[in-house]
Amino acid sequence: MILVGELSLWVALLMAIWSAVTSFAGGTMGRDDLVISGRRGLYATTAMIVLASLGLWTALLTHDFSLRYVASNTSANMPKIYVFAAFWGGQAGSMLFWALILALYSAIAVWSIRGRARELAPWVCGTLAAILVFFIATTCFKANPYDRLAFVPADGRGMNPQLQNPGMAIHPPTLYLGYVATSIPFAFAIAALVSRKLDAEWLSIVRRWSLVSWFFLTIGITLGMWWAYVELGWSGYWAWDPVENASLLPWLTGTAFLHSIMIQEKRGMLRKWNVVLVVTTFLLAIFGTFLTRSGLVESVHSFAQSPVGTWFATFFIGATGATIYFVTTRLKDLEATAELESMVSREAAFLYNNLVLVGIAFSVLWGTLFPVLSEWVRGTKITVGPPFFNTVNVPLGLLLLALTGVGPLIAWRKASTSNLQRQFRFPVLFGLSTGVLLFALGMRNPHALVAYTLAGFVAGTIGQEFYKGIGARHSMHDESIPLAALRLVARNRRRYGGYIVHAGIVILFCAFAGLAFKRDHDVQMKAGDTKELVDPLGHRWRFVSQGVSTSETLNRFVTAVGLEVWRDGIRQGIVTSEKRQHFDSNKQPQFEPSTEVGIRTSAALDLYIVLAGVRDETAELRISFNPLVVWVWIGGMVMAIGGLIVMWPQTERRRAGGYVATLEPAPRAELAATR
Amino acid sequence: MRRRDFLSRVVLGGVAIVAAPRLGGQVVSPPAGDAAPAQGTTSNLFDMNQEAAKTVRRPAKPGAVPSMTDDARDVLEHDIRCQCSCTLDVYTCRTTDFSCQVSPAMHRDVMSLVDGGYSAQEILDAFVQTYGERALMSPKREGFNWAGYLVPSVALAAGAAGLVVVLRGMQRRTAAIDAERRGDLLVNPATPEEHARLQAAIRRDD
Repeated sequence: MILVGELSLWVALLMAIWSAVTSFAGGTMGRDDLVISGRRGLYATTAMIVLASLGLWTALLTHDFSLRYVASNTSANMPKIYVFAAFWGGQAGSMLFWALILALYSAIAVWSIRGRARELAPWVCGTLAAILVFFIATTCFKANPYDRLAFVPADGRGMNPQLQNPGMAIHPPTLYLGYVATSIPFAFAIAALVSRKLDAEWLSIVRRWSLVSWFFLTIGITLGMWWAYVELGWSGYWAWDPVENASLLPWLTGTAFLHSIMIQEKRGMLRKWNVVLVVTTFLLAIFGTFLTRSGLVESVHSFAQSPVGTWFATFFIGATGATIYFVTTRLKDLEATAELESMVSREAAFLYNNLVLVGIAFSVLWGTLFPVLSEWVRGTKITVGPPFFNTVNVPLGLLLLALTGVGPLIAWRKASTSNLQRQFRFPVLFGLSTGVLLFALGMRNPHALVAYTLAGFVAGTIGQEFYKGIGARHSMHDESIPLAALRLVARNRRRYGGYIVHAGIVILFCAFAGLAFKRDHDVQMKAGDTKELVDPLGHRWRFVSQGVSTSETLNRFVTAVGLEVWRDGIRQGIVTSEKRQHFDSNKQPQFEPSTEVGIRTSAALDLYIVLAGVRDETAELRISFNPLVVWVWIGGMVMAIGGLIVMWPQTERRRAGGYVATLEPAPRAELAATR
Repeated sequence: MRRRDFLSRVVLGGVAIVAAPRLGGQVVSPPAGDAAPAQGTTSNLFDMNQEAAKTVRRPAKPGAVPSMTDDARDVLEHDIRCQCSCTLDVYTCRTTDFSCQVSPAMHRDVMSLVDGGYSAQEILDAFVQTYGERALMSPKREGFNWAGYLVPSVALAAGAAGLVVVLRGMQRRTAAIDAERRGDLLVNPATPEEHARLQAAIRRDD
């Protein structure tokens, strides 16, 4: 199976080349036989990539340490789940995994348009095959998981201890699912530009795939934050590391697109802008990958120094050049069919939202690249860390939060003063009340106060929208409130799913603002020692050390300290934090010691205990009180659920012809024809 | 030769040429750090430089008393970057999973300077003098670094200005079309079908 897998990888490369060439040729010459051949080539590529992947999984699970990848990323004593997850745990495997997802997505995308979108099909297939060629070639020539060692070691090195975490087993696949899904809208955009078929058909397909990408990126980013929080022991979940920034960039532009596409669907506007956002999202996914795998910027990531950077740079430049060419030569085909009527309208609000989202994306990209720029210009290495990103992005984030509440309140086309007064009254009052209440309760941090006031405003907006909708159904159809709520969402998935996403955003911002009240304490404790600390909410905590213990388990030595925890005189249980030294089958230490954080979660705050080290039976600990952290994960989940609702196909509307340009004024000629 | 035969020969030939040297026989030497344990010099996630710590000590000021509280010192350490290549600040890195030996050394230097009566700015300057500007978690607000801080705001302002110009242009054109349409409607009022379409559109609105 391993040999079959290795062979399949090379066959996949040839099949992908064939598919790209025949599809492009078929599209250019208008020959259906070539187009069909190209499509079959893509299916064959997918089959070959699946075989190559099965081969690597077989090698991993059978501990074939003759393969460098298997020896470098697994060991015989690793839990099976992490041996399975090692497929994407290293550079070469992750490249193959990327190719696997891309091949599967491509096959689904091409299969889903069979028999329709005839003008687009060859270019979609060709573009996807071309992207596949790049990824398979990079895997074959620069990061081949089937490369063999000159000798067969008795055991492998094992996987990074930090990666041996359930979050890390799920986080990379979901993130890759999101990254790779950006390829499909890109392929459709290129196909639409090349064939000049820039009508509603490509747009509806692109929207669906963009939602898929957004959905998985949202889950992937949230899981990444969770993994960093529970595994890395630094008591935070976002550090503005280039790897994190790379995942945020396509999410931001993808989010902007999902808003602006509504304007094109409703009004036929922003056609150029939407194409730009679609291709930019894909290019940012590639550029982000280049950034994190080229060593261009420093990152807390093992991929930082790798040989694939040059290939990614070349691909990025090529794809960008081709995209710029096609966009600039098709500008006339992308003229809007309608114009904006008022700067106080929902269209305009979406545009402001787009401006801020793209502005944040730019500032993140700028901050990530600024150290490189500084070194080029001044020859001086500098660091652009969280203080910089927070300075630049916090105000923009708050502005975005405000716009999240403003957009749904403004009518399409043109909002009247009375409409604005009626719509804004409750949300504004609710937001202000929230701020005043928190101030009265003693909150003085200005950023947090602004954030919670705006969160209250947006929550008021969402609540008002649901209240009106449910009330209307309740009175019109005589439905119970729960049934009315359920049907309201089910019958208007895009709108109310979107509001649920907004609710997730509100929860996230509230959780982020909670960090302003975080408290850390460095303590040393011997067995029997007691420490008393006060959390940001004024609760008194007592910690009684149970002493340091050592043990040995499956693949690690463990040094642990247990603390008996009391809050306001009530016993909360024992919280344990560990240092782990992983070893191989010969009990030889592998990797640096890793930390297992002790976390006790509640709705208000997390108690977060890190064992920094042990000296003379004295445990050195950092005890942190992290307010509202659990709401980051809940907010992420709510966003994902909202995204899922939005994505879910709506049969009635699909039959009715989709959402395209429902508010677009009928062209004059058409009006005349109806008379 | 039939197309199917041609294709199969091309594919098989290509595979044989490209992959034959690699299958089974070809081996590559284990790169440093790939199959061998990476003890002492690398963290689990990135290439760590455990030797990066340099001494940042100054003689205590006459009659020195600690210049700040422990909390203020912790805040200050958030502004100093650990030099082990982790991209984190000294305070955060000290207890992370990276098993860093650099951040504790830098922390000791900070404590020594605090005890020596040095202010926060003097301590930052001392670290910059030893490690260069990369000792700071964010660039100093001076010279070329201003570009780092200002370009995002300037770009956003330019984008906003551009957006306003575009929107105003659109608004003017729409106003002109509306005026023309109003005149048209006076002559040819809407038909019942148009009314029905309008109502349907309004129902779908939002």
